[in-house]
Amino acid sequence: MAILAPAPGRTPPSTAPAAPEEVVLGKAYDVALMKRLWPFIRPHWKLLLAWALFMPLTIAFELAQPALFRYALVEHMLGNNIGALPVDAAIYLSLVVAQGGTGFCETWFLQLAGQRTMHALRIAIFDHVLAQRAAFFDRIPVGRLMTRMTNDIESLNEMFAQGAITLIADFIKMLAIIVVMLIIDWQLALLTFATLPFLIVLVEYARRLMRASFRQIRVRLAAMNAFAQEHLTGIRVVQLLGRGPTATKEYDEINAGHRDAYLGQIKADASMYALVEAIGSVAIAVVIWYAAGHRTSSIAMIGIVVVFIDYINRFFIPVKDLSAKYAVMQGAMAASERIFQLLDTKEWDGGDVKATVAPAPDPTAPAIEMAGVHFSYGAEPVLRGVDVKVPRGATVAVVGATGSGKSTVIKLLTRLYEHQRGDVKLDGVDIRSLPLAELRERITVVSQDVILFAGSLRDNITLSRDYDEARIDDAVRRVGLDRALARRGDGLDATVAERGSNFSAGERQLAAFARALLRNPDVLVLDEATAHVDPEAEELIERGVAELMRDRTTLVIAHRLSTIRNADLIVVMDKGIVVEQGTHDELVAKGGFYAALERTFRRQDH
Amino acid sequence: MSEEAATRSSLGYLKPYRGAMVRGVVMLLLTNVFYLGIPETLKRAVDAIDATGADADPIVLAIDQMTGGGVRRELYDYIFVLIALLAGFAVITAITRIVSRIWIFNAARAAEYDLRSDLFGHLMTLSPAYYRTHPTGDVMSRLTNDVQTVRAMWGAGLLNLINAIVAFVTVLGVMIATDPIVTLWAILPFPLIYIVGQAMSRRIYSTMRGVQAELGALSSHIQEDLGAIQVIKTYGLEDVRRKGFVERSHKLLAQNMEASKVRIQLGPMLNSLAALGMAILILFGGRALIQGDMSKGEIVAFSGYLARLVWPTLTLGFMLALVQRGRASWVRLVQLQDEKPEIPSGTAAPLEVTAKPARVEIKGLTIAIGERKLLDGIDLTMEPSTITAVVGRTGSGKSTLVDALCRLIKVPEGTVFVDGRDVTTLPLESVRSQIGYAPQEAFLFSTTIADNIAMGYGGGSAIPAARARELEAMGAAAEKQDLRDDAKVIAASESAGLDRDLAVMPEGLATIVGERGITLSGGQRQRVALARALAAAPRLLVLDDSLSSVDAETERKILKNLRAVMHGRTAVLISHRIAAIKDADQIVVLDQGKVVARGTHTQLLAQGGLYSELYRTQLDTELTAQREAS
Repeated sequence: MAILAPAPGRTPPSTAPAAPEEVVLGKAYDVALMKRLWPFIRPHWKLLLAWALFMPLTIAFELAQPALFRYALVEHMLGNNIGALPVDAAIYLSLVVAQGGTGFCETWFLQLAGQRTMHALRIAIFDHVLAQRAAFFDRIPVGRLMTRMTNDIESLNEMFAQGAITLIADFIKMLAIIVVMLIIDWQLALLTFATLPFLIVLVEYARRLMRASFRQIRVRLAAMNAFAQEHLTGIRVVQLLGRGPTATKEYDEINAGHRDAYLGQIKADASMYALVEAIGSVAIAVVIWYAAGHRTSSIAMIGIVVVFIDYINRFFIPVKDLSAKYAVMQGAMAASERIFQLLDTKEWDGGDVKATVAPAPDPTAPAIEMAGVHFSYGAEPVLRGVDVKVPRGATVAVVGATGSGKSTVIKLLTRLYEHQRGDVKLDGVDIRSLPLAELRERITVVSQDVILFAGSLRDNITLSRDYDEARIDDAVRRVGLDRALARRGDGLDATVAERGSNFSAGERQLAAFARALLRNPDVLVLDEATAHVDPEAEELIERGVAELMRDRTTLVIAHRLSTIRNADLIVVMDKGIVVEQGTHDELVAKGGFYAALERTFRRQDH
Repeated sequence: MSEEAATRSSLGYLKPYRGAMVRGVVMLLLTNVFYLGIPETLKRAVDAIDATGADADPIVLAIDQMTGGGVRRELYDYIFVLIALLAGFAVITAITRIVSRIWIFNAARAAEYDLRSDLFGHLMTLSPAYYRTHPTGDVMSRLTNDVQTVRAMWGAGLLNLINAIVAFVTVLGVMIATDPIVTLWAILPFPLIYIVGQAMSRRIYSTMRGVQAELGALSSHIQEDLGAIQVIKTYGLEDVRRKGFVERSHKLLAQNMEASKVRIQLGPMLNSLAALGMAILILFGGRALIQGDMSKGEIVAFSGYLARLVWPTLTLGFMLALVQRGRASWVRLVQLQDEKPEIPSGTAAPLEVTAKPARVEIKGLTIAIGERKLLDGIDLTMEPSTITAVVGRTGSGKSTLVDALCRLIKVPEGTVFVDGRDVTTLPLESVRSQIGYAPQEAFLFSTTIADNIAMGYGGGSAIPAARARELEAMGAAAEKQDLRDDAKVIAASESAGLDRDLAVMPEGLATIVGERGITLSGGQRQRVALARALAAAPRLLVLDDSLSSVDAETERKILKNLRAVMHGRTAVLISHRIAAIKDADQIVVLDQGKVVARGTHTQLLAQGGLYSELYRTQLDTELTAQREAS
C-alpha cells in the first residue's frame, strides 16, 4: 500500500535534536523507530509466525464465499436444481464459521504478541527509570513518567490491534483478490483494475492532506491542554491578577486554532471515504459494461458479474478505513518516539563509572567525615563548605533552621545527589569509590516522612528480605512497635494501604525504626520527625529512637531537645555552613546561636 | 446530579449550528436514497444482460454491428444508459456523502469549541476552594476527555445513528417491494445481530473496566514507586519493587488478553450472523428464482441489499455505546457548569480608581474550617502608607489572613473593609486590582519573564512564546507583543533585584521560563513574582514570605529597594526574618489564629515573649552572615 512506503528522499528523524515532548510529530511509519522496537518484538516471533500461518487461511475462507455463491447461482439456481440449494447454504455457512475461527486465532496470536511486547517494554522503561539518579526525578514530573508507562504503551499497542500489522493482512487480502479475479476472467480483471490508478492517486493525496492536518492537530491540542493545565494549577494567581477574562480570550484563540485544525482532516476523511466508495461503484459499472459487450453465455456471465461485484466490494473495504489506521499508526509512532526519548535519557544513579570492589576501610578514621563540601541543586548554593566528623560509635546531632542545608547533608551521604566539591568519606574511604549498593547497605536513612508501601506490614519491615522470625519479633519489640500494634489491635500481618495512609504518623515512624534495626547498619542517619503525635506515641517514639541508636554511629537531624541534649556532639548549621560545634553545655555556655535556638526549642517543647 | 443536570440537553450547543446540521442530515438522507440506485440499476443491468445474452451469439452480434439496428441494438443502448446511471449514482452519492459528513462533523467541532470555551471561562471563575477539593487532573479530564466524548456523540454518533436508521428504512422498503417473503427470511438474522452485538458490548464493557482497573493498579504502583524513589534507592529496593511491578504488568497483560478475547469474538460472530442472511438467500432466493418468483437481477440486487445492511447493523451497537458514553460525559460536564463560585462578586459600585494608598480595616474576623478556627477574632487597622508586618509560627494563620485580604477565601460580611467599604459588597476584580501580591510559592506562567511581570498590570500573554510562534506561523493566533523594552516591566524587575540575574541570561527579559524554557531557582522565581506584584503599582502591597528562598545579601538589597517602592503605599509583610520587618510601622504577632501581641519592633522587644525569642535567634544569624561577608 502506498501509505506504508516511507516517502523517498526523507531521512529518518533520529538525528534531529530531541524536541520537547508535546511537539513530537510522528510519521505513520518510521524505519528508525521500527528498528528500535524490533528487539522487543523479536522474542515473540513464534506468535507472529502463528499469525502469519492463520492469516492466509482466513483470507482463503473469506474469498471462497463469493465463489461459492457464484457456483450456487450458476449451477443450481439457474440450473433449476432446488435440491442442491440446502447443501450450498450449509457449505456457505461453514465457510463463514471457518473464517470466523481462523480469524479469531489470527487476531489472538497477534494480540498476544502485542501484549507481550508491551509488557517487555513497560518493564524496560521501569528498569530504566529506576536506575536514574535523584535529580532526574526533580526535573521530570511523575505524571509524565506515568504517561510513558501507561498511555503511550497503550497507544503503541494499538499498532498491533489495528495498525501496521493488520495493514499487512489487508494488503495480502487485496493481492489475493486481484489474483482470484485474474484467474476468473483476466480480461475483465484488467479492465476493472483500470480504476486502481485513480485509487492510488486519491489515497496518496488524502495521506498528504491528513499528514499536514495531524501535525496541526497535535501541536494545537498540546498547546490547548498545556494552557488549560497551567491556568488550573495557577488558579490563585490567575484570579489575583484578575486574569480570568484575558485567559479565556487567549484560550479561545488556541481553542479556535484547534477547531480549525480539524477542517482539513474532516475534509480529507470525508472525501477519502466517499470517493473510495465511488471508485468501487465505477469499477462495478466497468464490469457491467464488459458483461454487456463481451459474453459467450449469459448464465456464466451473470455468475462472473456477481462474483466480481462482491470481490470489488471486499477489495475496497480496507481502503475505506485507511484514514483511521493512519491516525492509529501516527499515534503509535509518536508514542514510541516519546518512549525512546525517555530511554535515551541517561542520568545514571551513581554516575557512569561504577565501583565494583570496595577499598579497605581505615580503622583509625572517623565513621563519617565531610570536608569542605559544596552543593547546589541549581543556581543557588545549598552547602557552602561543610565540615562534619562523626566519630565511630558517637551520636552527632545537626540542628538549624529550615533551609540551612541539613537535609541535604543526608542526601549526599547516600549519594542520592553528588556533592560538587570537597570530600565525603565513610571509614576513611571516599564514598564515590564504594559500590553504590554497599554504601547504601552500610548507611541506613530513616527519614521524617516514612513511606510505607501498599502490602503487608511485615513486608514493609523486612523489605521482603528473609530474616529469622525471632529476629523480626525482637526488632519489633525493641522499638515498641508491638505495643503500638497492640493499641490498634493489629499484628504484623496488618494490611498497609497506599502510602501507609491507614497508619498514624507515629506508627509509621516505629515501623521505620524496626525496619532500620533489622538492617543493622554501620551508620544510622536519622531525620527526626517534626510532626506532632499524641503524648503516648511520643513516649514510644522516644524509646524507639533510643533503642535504635544504642551502640551505633548515628547522625541525627534533630528536632527534639532530648535528642540534642543526649548527643555527643552538636553541629549548628545555617545557610549552608556550620556555624557552631560542641556539646550542649559548651554551646549554652558560649551563649551564641545555639543558646538562643535552645530557648526557642524549650518553648516549643513544653 | 441536580434535577437540571438530568434534563438539560446537550443538543442546546448544536442549536447555533442547526442550519448546517439540518442540511447535513438532508444530505445524509439523499445519500441513502441515491445509494439505493446502485443495486436497483444493477438489477436491471443483470436482467438486461440476461435478455441480450439469451441468444447472444458472435455472429448475430456482428450482424448487429454491421446493420446497426434492430431490437438488440435497443437493448444494447439500454445497458449503456444503465452504466451511465450507475456511474452517475456513484458520483452523486460521493458528493452528498462528502457534503453531509463535512457539514455534520464541522458543526460538531464548532459546538465543541463553544462548549470548551464556556467550560474554561467558567473554571476561571471558580474559587480556589473548589480546586482544593477537585484535583487538577480530574478537572482537566473533563475539559479534554469528556468534551471529546460529547463531541463524538454529536458528530460520529448522530451521523451513524441516523445513517443506520435511514439505511434500514430505505433498504427494507425496497426489498419488501421486490419480494416480501424472501425479505422476511433473509432479514431474520438481523435482530439477532443486534441482540448479540448488545450482549457482546456489555461483556466488552465489563472486561474493559477490568483493564481500566488493572491499569489503575499499575499506575498506582508506578506512582507509589516514583513517590518513594529516595527510599527505594537508599534501601536498595529496586529488585523488590521491580518484582511487584512485573507482577502487576503481567496482570494487566492477562486482563488485556481477556478483553481482547471478547472483542475479537465480536467481529467473527456478527459476520457469521450477517452471512446467515446470505445462506438463507441461497436457499429461499434460489427457490424463488427457480420457481420464477424472482429474476436473476433481483437475486443479485438482494445480495447487494443484504451486504448494505450489514454495516449499519454492526455500527448500531457501537454507536449506541458511543451515545451512552457521551451522555455520561455530558452529565459530568453539567455538574461542572452547575458549580457556583464560592466567593460571589459583589454588586455595589467598584472602588474609586486612584493612586492613593489604601486603608484596610479588619474587624472581628473569624474563619473556621469545621471546628478548627484558622483565624479567631482578628482586629487590625492598616492606615494608608503604613507597613504592617505579620509574624508567627507555621500554621498560626498568617496565610489565611492574606487569603482573606485578597478575597481568595470567603469572609463573613462586615469584617474586611478597604477604604471603609465592606469587601463582600464589592466586585471581586475591584478589590483584587488594588492589591499587588507576591506569594511564597511563586507561580509563573510558561512564557517570557517580561510577560510574567507585565501580567501585574493586566498586560502580557500566557501563551508560551514558542507556542505563540508556532500558532502564529499557522495563522492560529495574533502576534505577540514584545515587552522587553516596556518601562514598567524594567522598573519592576530592577526593584525586585532581578537585574543581575537577567544580565547573565542571553535573552534577558525575553527568556522563557517553565516547561519549555529554563528552570529558575526558587529565589529567582520569587523575585519574578515580586516584580509582577510591583508592576501592578498597587494601592496595597502584600508580600507573603516572598523572599524566603532569596539569600540574605540579595534580600537586604531588595528590602532597600522596597523601602523606596513602598513609600506612598500600604503594605503587608509576612516574614520569618526580623531584618525584613523590624522597620514596620506595626508588627502583629499571630499564634493559633489570634493576635497575641502588637506594636513596633522596640515595643515588642521590650515585652519579651515569642517575638523577642525569634529576634534573638536571628540576630546572631545576621551577625554570622555579616562576619562571613566581611
